[in-house]
Amino acid sequence: MGMLDPIKGFGVTFSTMFKKVVTEEYPEVFYPTAPRYHGRHQLNRHPDGLEKCVGCELCAWACPADAIFVEGADNTEEERYSPGERYGKNYQINYLRCIGCGLCIEACPTRSLTMLNFYELADDDRQKLIYTKEDLLAPLLPGMEAPPHPMRLGDDEQDYYVRGPELARQAGQDRQSSEVSAQ
Amino acid sequence: MTLAHQKPSETAQTEVPEGHVRLTIDGQEVIAPKGELVIRTAERMGIVIPRFCDHPLLDPAGACRQCLVEVSMGGRPMPKPQASCTITVADGMEVKTQLTSPVADKAQKGVMELLLINHPLDCPICDKGGECPLQNQAMAHGRTDSRFVDRKRTFPKPLKISTQILLDRERCVLCQRCTRFSQQIAGDPFIDLLERGAQQQIGTSETAELEKSASHTPDGTPFQSYFSGNTIQICPVGALTSAQYRFRSRPFDLVSSPSVCEHCSSGCAERTDFRRGRIMRKLAGDDPDVNEEWICDKGRFAFRYTTARDRIRKPLVRGEDGELHEASWPEAMRLAAEALLKARDGKGIGVLTGGRLTLEDAYAYQKFARVAARTNDIDFRARAHSAEELQFLAAQVAGTTPEHVSFASLEKAPIVLCVAFEPEDEAPIVFLRLRKAARKMGTRVAFVGQWTTSSVRKTSGELLACEPGGEAAALDGIAEHAKDIVEALSAEGAVILVGERAATMPGLFAAVQRLAERTGARVAWIPRRAGERGALDAGAVPTLLPGGAPVTDAGARAALEKLWRLPEGSLPAEPGRDTAGILAAAAAGELDALVVGGVDPDDLPDPRAAREALDKVGFVLSLEMRPSAVTERADVVLPIAPTAEKAGTFRNWEGRDRPFEVTLQNTGAVPDCRVLDTLAVEMDVDLFTQTPKAARADFVRAANSVTRPAATPVEAAPEAEQAKAETNGHVKLSTWRQLIDNGSLQVEEPHLAGTARPAVLRLNEATAQRHGIVPGEPATIRTERGELSFPAEIADLPDDVVWVPSRSPVGVYEALGVGHGGLVQLSAGTAAGAESAEGPAGETGGAA
Amino acid sequence: MTQAPETVFGDDIVAKAQELKGRYPESRSALLPMLHLVQSVQGYVSREGIAFCAEQLGLTEAEVSAVATFYTMYKRRPCGEHLVSVCTNTLCAAMGGDAIYKKLSEHLGVGHEETAGEPGEPGSITLEHAECLAACDLAPVIQVNYEYFDKQTVESAVELVDKLRNGERPKPTRGAELTDFKTAELQLAGFFPEDEERFAADVDGPSAAEETLRGAALAQERGWIAPPMPEEGSRG
Repeated sequence: MGMLDPIKGFGVTFSTMFKKVVTEEYPEVFYPTAPRYHGRHQLNRHPDGLEKCVGCELCAWACPADAIFVEGADNTEEERYSPGERYGKNYQINYLRCIGCGLCIEACPTRSLTMLNFYELADDDRQKLIYTKEDLLAPLLPGMEAPPHPMRLGDDEQDYYVRGPELARQAGQDRQSSEVSAQ
Repeated sequence: MTLAHQKPSETAQTEVPEGHVRLTIDGQEVIAPKGELVIRTAERMGIVIPRFCDHPLLDPAGACRQCLVEVSMGGRPMPKPQASCTITVADGMEVKTQLTSPVADKAQKGVMELLLINHPLDCPICDKGGECPLQNQAMAHGRTDSRFVDRKRTFPKPLKISTQILLDRERCVLCQRCTRFSQQIAGDPFIDLLERGAQQQIGTSETAELEKSASHTPDGTPFQSYFSGNTIQICPVGALTSAQYRFRSRPFDLVSSPSVCEHCSSGCAERTDFRRGRIMRKLAGDDPDVNEEWICDKGRFAFRYTTARDRIRKPLVRGEDGELHEASWPEAMRLAAEALLKARDGKGIGVLTGGRLTLEDAYAYQKFARVAARTNDIDFRARAHSAEELQFLAAQVAGTTPEHVSFASLEKAPIVLCVAFEPEDEAPIVFLRLRKAARKMGTRVAFVGQWTTSSVRKTSGELLACEPGGEAAALDGIAEHAKDIVEALSAEGAVILVGERAATMPGLFAAVQRLAERTGARVAWIPRRAGERGALDAGAVPTLLPGGAPVTDAGARAALEKLWRLPEGSLPAEPGRDTAGILAAAAAGELDALVVGGVDPDDLPDPRAAREALDKVGFVLSLEMRPSAVTERADVVLPIAPTAEKAGTFRNWEGRDRPFEVTLQNTGAVPDCRVLDTLAVEMDVDLFTQTPKAARADFVRAANSVTRPAATPVEAAPEAEQAKAETNGHVKLSTWRQLIDNGSLQVEEPHLAGTARPAVLRLNEATAQRHGIVPGEPATIRTERGELSFPAEIADLPDDVVWVPSRSPVGVYEALGVGHGGLVQLSAGTAAGAESAEGPAGETGGAA
Repeated sequence: MTQAPETVFGDDIVAKAQELKGRYPESRSALLPMLHLVQSVQGYVSREGIAFCAEQLGLTEAEVSAVATFYTMYKRRPCGEHLVSVCTNTLCAAMGGDAIYKKLSEHLGVGHEETAGEPGEPGSITLEHAECLAACDLAPVIQVNYEYFDKQTVESAVELVDKLRNGERPKPTRGAELTDFKTAELQLAGFFPEDEERFAADVDGPSAAEETLRGAALAQERGWIAPPMPEEGSRG
């Protein structure tokens, strides 16, 4: 051990002070993920607030970790949650099992299920990590109405699916114009 | 392309048996029976040809064209691919399936593409998704993309063609399995192909596009068939689905377990599918000896009683306040055992078991009665019954096996005579076999009954009409008025089927036995409930021990005492009382306690007297699943397991054992045999029926240790007074229960209930005119006790006879106090008042 | 069972239905004429009519509906006094049938299987474009209640329907006198007057027109004959 060795050691410390810091100040600073990061799931809605989920269970089928539980049910004229005949009555994702692979997203035929970038999925209670439909449903945006309610954007589900993008654009415009007029 | 197969084959030397032909499929030589369809021969060889419309139990249709193969005869190719489901094998035929023939492969791919052109591909919301032959076929052989760019043909969806069956015409590939099933197997052609052509679709008369008109009553004929559920199962796409299973689960959620139907005495093989401890659906199992591949709608759809909200899951004990309170098993057991011990040492205990028990449970009940309660007062017959019936059962039925009469022998029989038996309502699968026998084998089916029912019509049957109650006389006089039937019955293999209703008619069983002896025809008894036959063989009757030996047989008793390790002479030697006797004794204070399992007083000939007996008797122990008229009056209620939650055996009417295992494991529910075993232990007696398996082993040993005596003639009971009584303006009542009514195992099934046949009062035109009754308008029958009203309908009944269903939903016995063969007053119009049926009639109730 | 049929179909119709049933070894075979019989009463096949046939023949209403929804000759909406069928198959269409149909449609203000006027009332007309009416030699043809009006033009067709609307009964080019749709339906059901002369008048008509035989005449004139059939087995 030479005389200068302690100083050498400080040299490392000293030089590091001028390098870019890699430490993240989480949770004080919430660092954004890459845009396509597989975070928490979300069950999306049609522009009028009806649910996109039809309870088909394809996500559950695709899931390699058996993390998803779905039960479908009938829409009725009096109680409608989604356009068409069927809606997801029960929807649960168990985040203790979920491996974030995203196969469920690929399987979803209505683009109901998508993933957010939200990654804070930790808890000290197993029960709390089973997210139910209420936890997973997308928030109601302006112009949306909480189901059950009748189809507002067409006479049948065809209108919702075939004219989907157009409806979405229209809903966006309506929202903008209503915001403008509100001002 | 090479034409003929030049390879000299070894099998060429093997002899072609008589009635067989030699052909080649995919280069393999095969010998097949003449008349076999190519698709079946291929299947036997392990070559699977895709198909949708083909079904082995339906006549060939060639509707879907998916099974096209290339065929050449004697080296000459047929000009176009042939449908292998309609072409029969022939000598020297050379068949090339999609595996060896590019032509067949291309043809099949083309058909698949055509079938998918109008298919909505809405698999995500379709119940069939995941178990759909079309989906599988499309995945295996279909194109990955569609070349069809035009608009698909669409229909409004789904159509409710009955409350249970939903029709989605977009998904249909027009294979006609459902229409063929309905027409050929069930005989209910209420669905058919409409709009043949580009808009071809399945539909009912209600869905046909016809001008709506005001005068048309919309209740015409929807898809009202007892067998409609089978069309769902055989539909190769999701065009037919049930309201009950709609959107409930996916095949990968389900655990499938083979099971046996608990409803009628046919003992159909079923498959029960459950998800997370709840039964989602039942499907027909495949058992060629019993139900082939069909089950009735009751067997398929009536299962939610097991998850009924009011199901009893904990023992209940009646407290000081007169109400039932939940109690622990040990407490309930202790209370019950104490009361029963006291009763046993007092005036005695009666045991009523009902007809829904497994063989094992029935065995446990009778052993409990004989060993723990030391009595022969046990009877499984929770319905109208007679001493004559018991004699008949002992002499002709107990211990018989399928070698005597079976489903198969119905098909081979030259004639089947149904006496007091309405197969479609009482044993639907027997009905299907009779229809098959009549259609395919030319079996004559004759009915001794009152009118041309759907069973008579659909089996091309002959009706020997008689007055209700006059069945015995009709059988005795059959040689005069239907000589040809007697002749036919004398032929080898002829069968007489007797239903449970026969017990209400004095002398009928004796007449049946006389007829059988005269003609040599074989007799089979077909009860309505699944457990009756097993209960009989298990000895749950006052006069018979397990294995069919009479209780008066000292040798048999001694053998059982030895087997059951009882002190000598401890088994009661006197024949016990039957259900009516037990109830009468209980009402008269001659019994101190009743042990009741699954009995509905409304099924008994005198429901009020039964309820009164339950009220009066000192102690009632009820083994039940759900609250009932018995639990209302019970002091201790012990919950027992429904069929799905226990193992056991139903012995069907043939005498065939239909064992089943536990479907839903670990629900905590215990079978009757276990409850009784534990209860007996509390009473310091060992039954050795802790598990169904143990009970069964004990039963087999017991049955083997006794010998059944030779058949004894049945003594006709003295004719009931009323048969001779002056009718003075009264009419005679004919009645039986329809398959779908308000039975206790059909609760919480609104979709099934909607497919029940409407409750109507049937009578002939002359009788209607005499009483001023207009068809379609209400008519009322009444007795001193009460009255019932139904819309009237004209049918070919004898003069002064009316028919009504036994439950509508009020029981005939309950409302009128009379049953089949009884006298009632008939008038036009509705009942005087709904209250009056309960009010003054209630006071006269106890008299009967 | 619906009780309605008896109120719509009287005893005479029931008797006729029974007679029809007796004409065939299989009673089901009587369904086609019976549906015509039903049309002769109501001018179309109604739900009552279907229930009536089902009851008479022991079929289910679904089975009768299956047959009734297949054939175009069974009308599912009430028809007018007359049924005017314009052939629009290839030859007639090319010879002017399309133009006739278009004109009639405009003139009457109705489309296919629609009725001008109140159905069943005098002068009401149901228009349809029909598949081949088997008279290509006389194209373009129109049928009124299945009686032929040959070699029509747009003008003659308009004139024809105007006459029908005025309650006239123009004489068909050939065949029987014109009646109305319901009467024609009764004949199609197989019921004719017993009077032999009237019967003959109802069904008789020239079967071959000059145009029909023109080809044969030409061939004869020029000595054309069909080539001989190849001998059996010499093919391929």
